[in-house]
Amino acid sequence: MKFKGSVLLVDDEPHIRKFVGLILRQFSVSAPKEAANGEEALELYAAQRYDLVLLDVNMPKLGGIDTLRRLRALDPHCVVVMLTSLVTRQVIEESAELGAVNYIRKDTPKDEISAALRETIESHFEPDKFENDSP
Amino acid sequence: MENLTALSDIDLIGRKILIVDDDRINLRILSGILQGERYQITLAESGETALEAYSKARPDLVLLDVVLPGIDGFETCRRLKQTYGVDGAPVIFITAKSESDDVVQGLAAGGVDYLPKPFKPKEVLARIRSHLQSQTLVERQKLLVEQLSKANAAKNKFLGMAAHDLRNPLASIRGLAEFLCDGTVGPMTPDQLDLVRTIHGASQSMLDLVNELLDVATIEAGELRLHLEPQDLASVLGKSIFLSNIEAAKKNTRIVQTEAFAASLTMIDQAKIRQVADNLISNAVKFSPPGSTITVVVHETAGIRGFSVQDQGPGIPETERDRLFTDFGRLSAKPTAGEKSTGLGLAICQKIVQAHGGTISAKNLPDRGCEFRVTLPCPP
Repeated sequence: MKFKGSVLLVDDEPHIRKFVGLILRQFSVSAPKEAANGEEALELYAAQRYDLVLLDVNMPKLGGIDTLRRLRALDPHCVVVMLTSLVTRQVIEESAELGAVNYIRKDTPKDEISAALRETIESHFEPDKFENDSP
Repeated sequence: MENLTALSDIDLIGRKILIVDDDRINLRILSGILQGERYQITLAESGETALEAYSKARPDLVLLDVVLPGIDGFETCRRLKQTYGVDGAPVIFITAKSESDDVVQGLAAGGVDYLPKPFKPKEVLARIRSHLQSQTLVERQKLLVEQLSKANAAKNKFLGMAAHDLRNPLASIRGLAEFLCDGTVGPMTPDQLDLVRTIHGASQSMLDLVNELLDVATIEAGELRLHLEPQDLASVLGKSIFLSNIEAAKKNTRIVQTEAFAASLTMIDQAKIRQVADNLISNAVKFSPPGSTITVVVHETAGIRGFSVQDQGPGIPETERDRLFTDFGRLSAKPTAGEKSTGLGLAICQKIVQAHGGTISAKNLPDRGCEFRVTLPCPP
């Protein structure tokens, strides 16, 4: 699948950004904007809207849940997918309540992450934002 | 941790003893006997003054006369036990009457022993010493248990933190190796590919181990919280079987499900029971020879629902049976295709099933292989 929108990738761990960056490459997203914490993400988002935000939960300075709350206050249409390591029901429920559209466990194999991302894009974006692979 | 259990090093000097008797001569005799042992003595002449003296002096032992003006010795003892409970000092009754009824009544009131009058100094000292020693041992035991539970909690916390912090880097190592393997970032020579596959495999097994350690830490810290919902057990198992079959196909092994009950809903935490099913099925695949058939059976009898996983492996040796569900309880059987095992899976399964109020058990099948059976309560 080719995703034509802009992506903001927020995670404090550079190796995770690299890994998720490679997954995004499969969606033809060659240069996602990266942020290392919630504060940076909010600054970037305030300066420019992104179509899709991939947001880590556990981060220094400003954690994912608080960042999500502020992002959604800034832009109620903001599409956010949470990146989690530990999935507790509390995190899932809290982020769903705050309007995140999906969550992805970072320790799942890359093909599963891709599948979850594909599903999210298909169900949350207008058809002009993505192109499915020709069969 | 200091040695808290040796009996010989118990020092009784300075231990506080409260002596309660309305007869001053008795008080003098007992004080005289105890003086040489360097105990700290407090005296009281009635039950009421004894209660007051106890709250001030906090003695380690009480010698209590039965017949007293005002409330008697038994009542005094009862009140002490009521106020101070199990942490109160042991009470030894002083009794002139040797009738066994009195002794029984005294012990029923919470006393630990009795001293018959007239006193024999050696006997008095021996009994007091013995009770003070055992009380000291109890105190040390309590302290030890307290220290151990603190140490255990610290271990669990550390384990949880370490596992948690190891997880993301491991996930990245595995994920990046996956990208190298599938050529996303360019082609590799067969030798390079072999190395990268090794990195991938090794990081995968470390990730499994870390995840299981994290489960153990969570469970041991009492943080296993179930989210119970009515679920169709057969379809939960079906999902597990579907995914496990992909892995099993590499060993030419098949997983089949028999007799699925339609629409029988059970109150379970779906994700956790999935974890149990995944674990039992993957064990069955691991320990059965290639080309085996693993059978999963859903059953329901008299208010109990559950499932079994039957393998075609070597079975469980009788001598290793009690290690089966313990942490790191790996048995002598080895996975038949060199698969990895942490030895934590069944311990985790057992804790999850028990948290549901269910049971998990294993038995060998008559011909070959063994069966793991999980039962879950289902209230009508």
